[in-house]
Parts: sequence; structure tokens; C-alpha cells
Amino acid sequence: MGTFIQQLINGLTVGGIFALIALGYTMVYGVMRLINFAHGDLCILGAFIGLTTLTSAAGGGHPGAGLLLLAFVVSVIVIAVAGVALERIAYRPLRKADRLAAVVSALGASMMIENGIMLVWGPQVHVFPSNLLPATTWHLAGATISFVQVMIILASLVLMIALYLFVNHTRFGTAIRAAAIDQDAARLMGINVNRVIASVFIIGPALGAIGGLFIGIYYREAYFTMGWTYGLYAFIAAILGGIGNIPGAMLGGVLLGLFNAFAAGYVSSSWQDAITFGLLIVILLVRPTGLLGERVAEKV
Amino acid sequence: MRRAKLGTLIWAAGLALPFALDSSWVSVAAFFAIYAITALSEDIILGRAGIFDMGHAVYFGIGAYVTAILNTTLNIPILLTIPVAMLVAAGVGALLSAPLIRLRGDYLLVATIGFNAIFVLAMQNNPGGITGGSDGITGIGVPTLFGLQLESQSSMFWLDWVALGAVLLLMHNLDGCEFGRALRYLKQDELAASTLGVDARKVKTLAFALGAGLAGLAGTLFAVQLSTVSPSSFLFTESVTLFAIVIVGGQGSIPGVLFGTALMFVVPQIFRGLAEYRYFVFGIAMIAVMVLRPQGLLPRKRIAT
Repeated sequence: MGTFIQQLINGLTVGGIFALIALGYTMVYGVMRLINFAHGDLCILGAFIGLTTLTSAAGGGHPGAGLLLLAFVVSVIVIAVAGVALERIAYRPLRKADRLAAVVSALGASMMIENGIMLVWGPQVHVFPSNLLPATTWHLAGATISFVQVMIILASLVLMIALYLFVNHTRFGTAIRAAAIDQDAARLMGINVNRVIASVFIIGPALGAIGGLFIGIYYREAYFTMGWTYGLYAFIAAILGGIGNIPGAMLGGVLLGLFNAFAAGYVSSSWQDAITFGLLIVILLVRPTGLLGERVAEKV
Repeated sequence: MRRAKLGTLIWAAGLALPFALDSSWVSVAAFFAIYAITALSEDIILGRAGIFDMGHAVYFGIGAYVTAILNTTLNIPILLTIPVAMLVAAGVGALLSAPLIRLRGDYLLVATIGFNAIFVLAMQNNPGGITGGSDGITGIGVPTLFGLQLESQSSMFWLDWVALGAVLLLMHNLDGCEFGRALRYLKQDELAASTLGVDARKVKTLAFALGAGLAGLAGTLFAVQLSTVSPSSFLFTESVTLFAIVIVGGQGSIPGVLFGTALMFVVPQIFRGLAEYRYFVFGIAMIAVMVLRPQGLLPRKRIAT
């Protein structure tokens, strides 16, 4: 029972992070029908920028709660700007081109960011400071919950609710949903589709930067190839929930986190990834539209 | 026809490379031939059949592993392992294609990424103790032809170059034959092709089997060239590179794919001192080429029909 609850908590923590990153994939795919392969790398770039903010602002001293908040703010702003720039430079010129050209452009962007991180921060593993957050832990039926886990689960939950309300209950959210259904019709209704796409490239990377920084804080490390690994997981989560579907990405992230935690807890960990990818292929074959159904724009 | 003649001439001139270059550059040329075969085989699936295969390193890896296992455990001569490697790779390709080709573009792409990841993990986990885990298999023998040991770098280069020549001949003939035309119709308009009697399922499965089989051949040559195989040579990044070669070079274009291969595998050898900037520059180059020339660097010429 203790193991079960422990894996449940671990799974919810990781699942929250997956969901935050998956939202970026799903929103971009929903509006543009493009797999933004660079998204995972952007998220990890967020972790690196947050870490650098922390260490340089603390100047060797103890980084407090205020500094941590500053790290999140800096990282979110930088990554959102990077996301918009990426769309402008690498994706916008290819909107009318062959689908594969955009795919290769996205792969190139991923390669550029990943190796850019390596050139700036080096290939080694960077360790996050251990005293960022209180080391408080709670015990529940034989399982241990740490302060970090509570923070990640709560923050992910709040952010997801906020996004859900924004997309479903504001005018701009309606514009995003309309553009995801039919860009031409949306344009005819007076929606500025370019602004919708830009906003998707602000919201997705911003949430992703928070997710990336959570990964760094939770696992207490960051290295340049991390973007692929976590990006792929988050992407699987987006597909699991139904690509283009925002609540689907949230559900998919949490389910994949739980699935991974239980696979690691009960099955051999060296086959854990293979099981995850096996799950991906089974979903694609049995129900390619995901659990909650896909919602994507028709490509014009 | 003039292009074909020019190509033949360049290929024949290539045979003289070992006399003009020192052995480290001959090995670069050998790797070029091997990767060119792999990229051409990816072009059959991606460029000609229009199937978004982003896991092509799997078939390349299967060929390499089949040769490595047969040669090191059963002492089967290298050249005899080639048909086995090709058949196993083609068989796996055909098997995986059955569920894959039912999927829509992007989903298919993601599923092939999944297969690639599973393949690498499986090789690392050493199932049945035959793949050697993360370290792979070492001590792969030297090919022998009529009692002659093809041991020197030059003779291995000739083996790879002849194989490349055979694959090029096949690719060239593919344009004119019924199967090649069926692929082209399918890619342009699947519905119209089906109504004209093209069996989409069969043609796509065949394309997968052919592409995978040729990648298997390249895998064998790769294992021989390195005399060792390990999972790290068949990572998903290799599949991405092959995918990018076809799109950056030009889909369905033999000169395009060869040029793309040279850019991705030979140019880095010239700038070896700047190795750590390699992928950073590649990334920028991939974006730049796509934005400026979305159809690829040397796109396929339209064939009059």
C-alpha cells in the first residue's frame, strides 16, 4: 500500500510537469498542425536560464524564495520571446509550403537550441542547489511527500485551471478555439489568425519554461539533451489525450506520469521507456484520436 | 539520359578515389557510400512513397546486427550474411508497415519514432544475450571474395562503392518501372491512383520492404567498415538526419539525396576541428534551406509523361 501511494504521488508530480509541457505541443498542433519538435528544447532552455538566474543573483549565497520567483519570471519571459521568434523565423514562412518542410525546419530548430545550450553551458550535467525549498516532508500511509512535490502538483493544477478558463471563457480564448477549427472561417469572422498563432507561441513556451524549471528543481539536474527525452514524453502525453485538445493534454500528462511511475515501481526500470513507447504505438493503432478526441485545424 | 550518363561517369571516376586520397579520406568516402545507400533507401519510403518514416535507423541497425551476430557467433562469412541481413530488415519493414500505413501522416511519423526508441532500448537490454548490451558486438570479421581478404580500407571502399552503384542503378530504373510509377501516382493522389487500379496497401508495403531491405544492406557494410556495432549508431538522431537528407536534398531526386548525404556526412569531416559546432550549424542550415528552398536543394526534375 505504501508503495502504491508513493508511486501515485511521484506519478502525479511528474504527470503535472508532463501536462505543462504537453500543452505547448497540443496548442501549436491544434492551430497549425505542426509538431513543434523544438518545444522540449525550449523548456529545458528555460531550466538553464532559471538556474543561471538563481546562481548569478545569489552570488554564492543562499538563494531565497524571492530569488526562486525571479528565476521563474526571467525564464518565462525569455522562453516566451524565444517561442515567438522561432515562429516568426522558422515556421511562418513555411505555412503554405509542403508539410515536410516545416517538420524539417522544426527538427533543425530543435537541433540548434539543444546544441546552442551545449555551446553556452557545456555538455556536463548541471546540479541545481539543494536548499532552494524547505526540506519539509509529510508522511501518509507509509509514503513520503516532499514540499517540492506539493508545490509542483499545486502549481501545475492552478496553471492548468487558469489556462482552461482563459481558453474557454474569454474572447481571445474563443478566437484560439475558432482558429483551431478552421483558420479561413476564423479569418472571415475578423479574427487575426497571426495574433492567435503568436499567442499560442507565447502561452505554450511560457508554460513549458515553468515545466522545464520544475524538472530541474525536482530531479535537481539539467543537461542539454534533456529536451528530447522530456519533450518526447510530453508529446506522447499530448497524443494520449488527443492532439489539439487542451483538457486532453492535461489528462494525458497526468495519466502518462502515473503510468511511468507505476511501470518504474513494479516493472524493471530498464524496460520502462520501451513500455511507454509501446503504449504510444498501441494508442496510435487503437485510438489515434486520443482519449478525448483530436481538435485540429484543417490544413489549407 | 544525359544525366544518367554523367552519373555513371562520376561513379566510375569514384572507383579511382583510393589512388588519389590517403586512407583516412578513403574511409570517409566509404562512409559516404554507406550513408548514401541508407539515404536512398529512406527516399524510397519517404520521398517516393510519401510515407513519413522517421525511424529508418531501425532497418539500418537490423542489417548491422544480423551481420554482426551471424558472423561472430556462427562464423558465417560476411558476404553470405548480406542476403540474410537484407531479408530480415525487409521482413521487419513489411511487418511494421502493416499497422503503420493505416495511420495518417503525423501519427505515422510519431509511431516510427516510437519503433526507433524501442529498437535502441531492446538492443541495450541485450535480449537473450545476443546483442551485447550497450557495448554492442565487437570483432566482426573481414569479408572474403574468391579467397581474397578484403581487408585494406581501399578494398572495403570498393565493396561499398560497388554496392552504391548497384543501388543507384536500381533507383534509376525505379523511375520507369510499373512499381515506381505506382508510387508516384499514389503520392500525388492516393484516391485517384486507387480508382485506376493501384493497390495502395500492397504498393506501400512493398516500398517499405524495399527501403528497409536496402537499409539492411547498408547496415551490413557499416558493421564491416567499423568491425563493431553498438546501439548508439542507430539512435533516433540518425533517423532524423536521414529524414532531413531526403527533404533538404530533394524528395525523389537521386542527385539531391546524394548531395544531402555529402552535406550531412562529408562536410563535417572537413571541419573536424569545429566538431562541437557541427549540429548547431546543421540546425540553422536546416531552417535556412527550408525557408529559402522548401522544395529542397536539388529538387526532382519533372518527368514528361
